[in-house]
Amino acid sequence: MDERDALKTVQAEIAQLRDRYVARLPAEVTEMTELAGRLKGDENDRPTLDFLRHRLHRLAGSGGTFGFHALGAKARLLEQEVSQWLEDPVLADGPTLEHFGDGIASLATLQGAGPSGPAAVDVAMPPAPASGQPARIWVVDDDELLGGELARLLAQFGYVTRLFTRFDDANAAARAGERPDILILDVLFPDENLNATEALFRGSALDTLGCPLLFVTAFSDFPSQLRAARLGASGFMEKPLDVPKLVDRLERMHDTSPATPHRVLIVDDDVDLAEHYRLVLTAAGMEVAVENLPEQVMERVATFRPELLLLDMYMPGYTGPELATVIRYRDEWLSLPIVYLSAETDLDKQIKALGHGADDFLTKSISDAQLLASVRVRVARSRQLADLMSKDSLTDLLKHARIKEEIDIELTRAQRSGKPVCVAMVDIDHFKLVNDTYGHAVGDRVIRAIAHLLRQRLRKSDGIGRYGGEEFVVVLPECDEVMAKAILEDNRERFGALRFRHEEQEFACTLSAGVACANSGQTVAGGDLLVTADEALYAAKHGGRNQVRIGQVGAKATAGTT
Amino acid sequence: MDLKHILYVEDEPDIQAVAKIALEMVGGFTVKICASGEEALREAVAFAPDMILLDVMMPGMDGPSSLAGLRALPELAAVPIAFMTAKVQPAEVAHLKSLGALDVIPKPFDPMTLATQVCAIWEKRNG
Repeated sequence: MDERDALKTVQAEIAQLRDRYVARLPAEVTEMTELAGRLKGDENDRPTLDFLRHRLHRLAGSGGTFGFHALGAKARLLEQEVSQWLEDPVLADGPTLEHFGDGIASLATLQGAGPSGPAAVDVAMPPAPASGQPARIWVVDDDELLGGELARLLAQFGYVTRLFTRFDDANAAARAGERPDILILDVLFPDENLNATEALFRGSALDTLGCPLLFVTAFSDFPSQLRAARLGASGFMEKPLDVPKLVDRLERMHDTSPATPHRVLIVDDDVDLAEHYRLVLTAAGMEVAVENLPEQVMERVATFRPELLLLDMYMPGYTGPELATVIRYRDEWLSLPIVYLSAETDLDKQIKALGHGADDFLTKSISDAQLLASVRVRVARSRQLADLMSKDSLTDLLKHARIKEEIDIELTRAQRSGKPVCVAMVDIDHFKLVNDTYGHAVGDRVIRAIAHLLRQRLRKSDGIGRYGGEEFVVVLPECDEVMAKAILEDNRERFGALRFRHEEQEFACTLSAGVACANSGQTVAGGDLLVTADEALYAAKHGGRNQVRIGQVGAKATAGTT
Repeated sequence: MDLKHILYVEDEPDIQAVAKIALEMVGGFTVKICASGEEALREAVAFAPDMILLDVMMPGMDGPSSLAGLRALPELAAVPIAFMTAKVQPAEVAHLKSLGALDVIPKPFDPMTLATQVCAIWEKRNG
């Protein structure tokens, strides 16, 4: 059993435990709610409170372990509340107890919010399809025509779709244990006289699917949107739907690949406090390093390459702003977010400190949750910025320079691993005609569509870049000529099958591709590979377009010498 | 000496089960679970653990008193012990360490990395 299989077995075992936990939870919450309802606010409550405290403690621990962080946190709060009452000779009064009872009852709904956070990525994504397997989408829409069209379009992007025209049918399928990876739900079902957000809110088998949920509607009233938000829906989109935009959203929702952990460097001479921060951030799945010696900070930043620096304001011999300034002297660290940590509560001093190259200020009395939230938000934003700098805004694919870098990185990796790597150039046929006939807005839609298609059909490890206007470059590591040809042929056929619409007119586009392969053990420069792919693309265009050609690396040079 | 036998003292059955999987299947250790400090005191010597993980909050004997009890057994006096707790405020961590624990593992733990965390603690037992 190799490591991957072992991992899967572990995840399956834990998923099983989690399922059992989820199944048990409602009864447990009901029992606790009942007990809480019997509290009178006098001394006789003590045994019950003691029992409840114990149960809440267990729930807090296990909730977190299974990735139900909201549930765990709420149970922890309630546990603390009960503990306080138990220490106090005057137990709680009527309204407080009522509020407490509501709190316990709310635990049941928090479980519905589903698992989140680091444990969820590994443990709690139920049958997430193995990479390369298409995601299953249920489209539930009472308009057979519109729903059918949506299902068909999504299928073209490589999703496996299933259409339900009745809410009850989908509900029944969910009750029967069938489950999609993503659920797309219309809001209003006049025939069944129901609003889907209300139905889910009241409790429905569809709500227990635990998969990402997206509402689509022609009437977006505020109460429905609010209910959707409370249900934890990932989106609420208005009809008529912009399908590429929807696919974009779906892609992000279905991206189950665990994000690389956030990397945080803490510089603080207070060893205990730094250790505390490290524990809190590590528990949330981040990669954290602590540097207690300020003079080591430059070296540490260079070796650890943090995405965020938590910097103590006052250390023996140095101040935070001094260190921040030193760090900012280096161009490569100009965009590194720096956040000061300090006991300083004087706003003027804080503002002054921000002038010295740092981005924010956190006081040391900060709660763990606040610390975590601040760090998360900052790292996420800085990643977004890095993405913006390296990605093409229209397609979200890598920019020209970055995809060329990617080729070099994969070639170096291939030389180490001895595996082949392929590069393909892909170009939309007669794209100028599309632009001229239908306008640039439609042209952009075609470009976005091919970008989505490539992303959908290629592996996570493949690099995809927008090389020029309608030209794309794909890097396929651990892939030989035969596989590359098959992959590109598949993309060519799918792209050709897409139908675009513009003012009642329907049209289709085709693509041509040229492939170049660096075989195992072959030393090739990235530039040569690109030239070969480009020549093969040229051959494909001249051979009548809508086809994939393979080029031979060095073929031309050999021909030249003979 | 390699880390092989781990004794895990935890009252919550769900966490017991996840920890067992995390340590046995991911970490490859032999794990014995005790549901209380009292049970640990009865069974620990026979199991001869290389390391002991203690939940802090348990009904009856809590983590700290279990630690004191285990330490009082001559066979276990030198066995490294780590606490597992959701409370990781610096003062609490410092207090738990002052009781003689090698380290504190925050809860909830990630089942995929628990074994690594335990190994890291094991590595620093002499240093």
